[in-house]
Amino acid sequence: MPKLSLMFEEKLVKEVPVGSRPITIGRAPDNDLPVDNLAVSNYHAKVYYEAGRMVIEDLDSLNGTFVNDLRIERATLHDGDNVHIGKHKIKVDTSGDAPVAVNAGRKPAAPRINETMVLDTKERRQMLQQAAAMGESMQFAATRMKVPTLVVLSGRTDQKEYVLTNRLTVIGKSGMATIKLKGWFKPAMAAQINQRDDGFYLGPGDKVPTVNGTSIPGPVRLNDGDLIEISGVRLNFIFRE
Amino acid sequence: MRIASGGLTDIGRVRSNNEDCFQIVVPLQLFVLADGMGGEAHGEIASAMAVDAVVKHCIDVDANPAARVIGPTQPNWSPWTKRLSTAVHLANRSIFRSAEEHPEQHGMGATLTAAWINGAKLSIAHVGDSRAYLLRGGSLLQLTRDHSLVAEQVRRGILTTAEAEESSMQSVLLRALGAQAEIEVDAEEHTLFPRDVLVLCSDGLTRMVTEPEIAGTLQAETDPAKAAEKLVELANERGGADNITVVVVRVEKSSKGWFTWLRREARKHSTRNGTSGGN
Repeated sequence: MPKLSLMFEEKLVKEVPVGSRPITIGRAPDNDLPVDNLAVSNYHAKVYYEAGRMVIEDLDSLNGTFVNDLRIERATLHDGDNVHIGKHKIKVDTSGDAPVAVNAGRKPAAPRINETMVLDTKERRQMLQQAAAMGESMQFAATRMKVPTLVVLSGRTDQKEYVLTNRLTVIGKSGMATIKLKGWFKPAMAAQINQRDDGFYLGPGDKVPTVNGTSIPGPVRLNDGDLIEISGVRLNFIFRE
Repeated sequence: MRIASGGLTDIGRVRSNNEDCFQIVVPLQLFVLADGMGGEAHGEIASAMAVDAVVKHCIDVDANPAARVIGPTQPNWSPWTKRLSTAVHLANRSIFRSAEEHPEQHGMGATLTAAWINGAKLSIAHVGDSRAYLLRGGSLLQLTRDHSLVAEQVRRGILTTAEAEESSMQSVLLRALGAQAEIEVDAEEHTLFPRDVLVLCSDGLTRMVTEPEIAGTLQAETDPAKAAEKLVELANERGGADNITVVVVRVEKSSKGWFTWLRREARKHSTRNGTSGGN
């Protein structure tokens, strides 16, 4: 039966067979292949069989999944491939019989025009892959890990620096705000920074902030190095490598 | 936090049946919306099953907090987020199982978007192309990602947003309840602030009405039920090509601040004086 062997510094840590069920790899203990290392995301990647081929898929991990030293989002695995996750190596052994897909016989009824339909996994892969053939390669360069950070230049806040980990960030005096303003007469929610698909956007709350000296009435996308001023606090938005 | 909510579902101007479904469970502050698909009446069955299954699990788990969690979770999630995500996994199983048992239901499925408010924490669970929006400080932010082919193509930079809106592939979903035995559920949590407005809606709204119009309507109409009504009306004026469902949830401060406090204190003071005066 095909299997994955987790190695650390050339020593075997664990072996798992790959059957019809997907194998999950990550730092959380409930993974099929738990990897105890801080560089590994809780649910880092998964390996499964699709149309008779072993496939690995990165689950939007922070530090990435590498197959033969190439960062991948999804890749077919071959016998002898080396997968790197954090400082661990996973050896791929595809010898033996591939498992039979569970729901291979299920065929959806032919969809009617304008009727909502769901692509089953195989169709969806093909369509996305065709469509993404060109887009994919461009994405690789952009996925270098950068950490969005706000550095406090002046004004009173509860921290000197904030890493924007949440999709919604509030700047204000409120106890629930991520970036807490201190002092009298500060607004509960002065401004907000929200993560959208294409970046981080600063928008007004009770006050209208300025970016690089220009006041912004509506959401504006932040660029590396932007200077933000709000309620007497000056912040520098940067992407840390 | 004080929560006010209202919702409405409408058949639209073109379809002959309403495959959308929603429920608001006021005591739990739980809001669930689903959009069904599948021939005959099966879309209706699927969306009703989805909403019922989620509501039922959330009510059950409220009484029995030790209930099992299903599907992958993040360690930092609140118990409610874990429960809501579990509820969606269960809803998927029940639709899938029903379709397996009844051959005529083959291909039925549903989108699902659910929101659960506990204190200041908002838990969201989501599968498909219905949406949750948050209006905060005048800007409208889509909290959910559409699991549709065109949305995925936009994220990958293959289509522009404008091209996606014109695409004939808009109805192709990558994920829906009932399509597979096990599915991936998007779940996340956020902190709510006073004056936030949360909207759940089916694609019958978002294909007819633009985001700035949604934001404008929510700002102009502070009554949640009336705001939902206006949004449905607007979608119908534009042609109402699909069923339209809107749920609006408004978050308010629980008290009116220092003035209320002052008045309450004054009242306490006066009653205390009253009793001591009797001695």
